[in-house]
Amino acid sequence: MYELLSSLQELLRNPIVQSSVLPLVAGLVCAAVLYPLRLEGLGAAAGFLVAVVAIGNFAFEPLTVTRKIVVLGAGAAIFGALFDLAVKPTRFTGPALGAIFGAAALWVFASVLVQKTPLEVATLGAGVVALTAWLVTATVSLHYNSARSGAAGLGLGLGAGVSAVLGASALIGQYGMALAAACGGFLILLMALGPRVSAGISLTLTASVLAALLSAGAVLLAQLHWSSLAALALVPVIVRLPLPETPLWTRPVLASVYALLAAGGACALAWLAPRGWTF
Amino acid sequence: MLRVTLGALALALPLAASAAPENYTLDPYHTYAHFAVDHLGVSLMWGRFDKSSGKFMLDRAAKKGALEINIETASLTTGDIDKGSRPRSRDEHLKGADFFNVAEFPRMSFKASDVRFDGEKPIEVAGELTLLGATKPLALKIERWVCKDHPFSKKPMCGGNASGAIKRSEFGMKYGLPAVGDDIRLYVEFEGYKE
Repeated sequence: MYELLSSLQELLRNPIVQSSVLPLVAGLVCAAVLYPLRLEGLGAAAGFLVAVVAIGNFAFEPLTVTRKIVVLGAGAAIFGALFDLAVKPTRFTGPALGAIFGAAALWVFASVLVQKTPLEVATLGAGVVALTAWLVTATVSLHYNSARSGAAGLGLGLGAGVSAVLGASALIGQYGMALAAACGGFLILLMALGPRVSAGISLTLTASVLAALLSAGAVLLAQLHWSSLAALALVPVIVRLPLPETPLWTRPVLASVYALLAAGGACALAWLAPRGWTF
Repeated sequence: MLRVTLGALALALPLAASAAPENYTLDPYHTYAHFAVDHLGVSLMWGRFDKSSGKFMLDRAAKKGALEINIETASLTTGDIDKGSRPRSRDEHLKGADFFNVAEFPRMSFKASDVRFDGEKPIEVAGELTLLGATKPLALKIERWVCKDHPFSKKPMCGGNASGAIKRSEFGMKYGLPAVGDDIRLYVEFEGYKE
C-alpha cells in the first residue's frame, strides 16, 4: 500500500502528468458531472485548476503575475458559469467581456509595467489589453458552437503553452498545456454525447482569458517573441472554417486540426523569431 | 580647573572619534553574491550576480552594526548564455518566471541590524532576505574579516567573505523541485570603503 502511494506521488510529480493526463481526466470528469446542470464548460477551468494544485506553485501571498493569472482565470470561470445560468448572451456579450477582461489584464501585469519606461508602459499595456480583448471577444462569440469553442480552447492552450516553453518559461508552459488538456477532456465528452454538450460562456471565457494572459506573461516575464501572439490570435478565427455536418465526431476533430494549425504557427514563430526569422 | 577640563577633553577626543559608528559603502567591483544549488543530486552548480550595491555600519565599541545589500537579479550568470539549438539557455531560464522572475522582481535585498562580534570582529550578521516579494530570516556567517587602508589610495576599507543558506521554496521558487535542489548556499565576497 505504501509503495502504491509512493509511486502515485512520484507520478503526480511528473510535469507531463501534471499538465496533460491530470487536467484531461479532471476536465472530462468535471464536464460529465456538470453536464446535467448545463455547466459542462466548467471542465476547462476544473482541469486547469487541478493542474495548478498539482504543480504546487500557487499561493495568495505574494500575489505575483503568474498567480494573478490563475486568480483571474478562476474568476472568469465563475463569471462565465453565472452568465450561463442567468443571462442569455447577445452579440454584444463578447465585446463587453473583452473590454472588461482586457482592462483586468492591466491589473495582472501592473507590477511589471510600473518598472518600464512610459513608452514601454503605453505599448506593452496597449498590447496586453488588445490581445486579451481580442481573444475574449472572438472566442466568446463562438459559445453557441461547442465543437469550435472546445477546439479554440485546445488550440489556444496548446499554442500558449508550447510557445511559452520555447520562450523560456516552463511553468507558464505547463499552465497553457493544462488548459489545452482540460479543453481536450471537454471535446471527448462532446464526441461521446454529441451537440447537446454546451461550451457556453464558462469555457470560452476561461480559455480565452487564460490563453491571453499566459502568452502575454511569457512575453513580459520570459522571452517569447510578440509575433507568436499574432499567430495565436488567429485561433478563434481559423476554427470558423467550414465543418462537415456528419458524422458528428468529425466536427470537433476537424475544428481541432484548424486550431492546431494556428497554434503550430505560434509555436513555430516562438522558435524561429529569436533566431532572426521574423516576418 | 577650566584648563584641566579642556585638557581632559582634548585627550578624550581621539578615543570618542574611534568609538563612533563607522559607515562604509560597498564597492560594486569587489562585492559579489554567489549561489550554489544541487542539480539532479549529481553536481553542485554555481551562479553569480554581477551587480550589487549597499552599505554597512560598524560601531565596534557598542558592538553594533547594520548591513544593507541590494542585488540585481537580472545580472545573474551561470556561464550558460547561448541557447544554441535549445529553446533557451540556462541563464535565460533562471531569469524567467520559473526561477528569479527578474522582470517582476529585478532586485533582492538583505537588510540586517543584528551583528554578533568576537572581540572587534563581526562574525555573524542576521537579518531578512527579500526575494520574489517574500521576506524571510537569513543569517550570514562572516568567515573572513579584514580592515586596513587600501594599499594605493590609502582609503580605510573593510571586507571579507560571508556565507549562509536558504530554502528557495520558502520564497515561492518551487519550479524544478526536487530535481533542482531546494537548499541554496549563498556566498558573498564584499569590500567597503569608509565614508
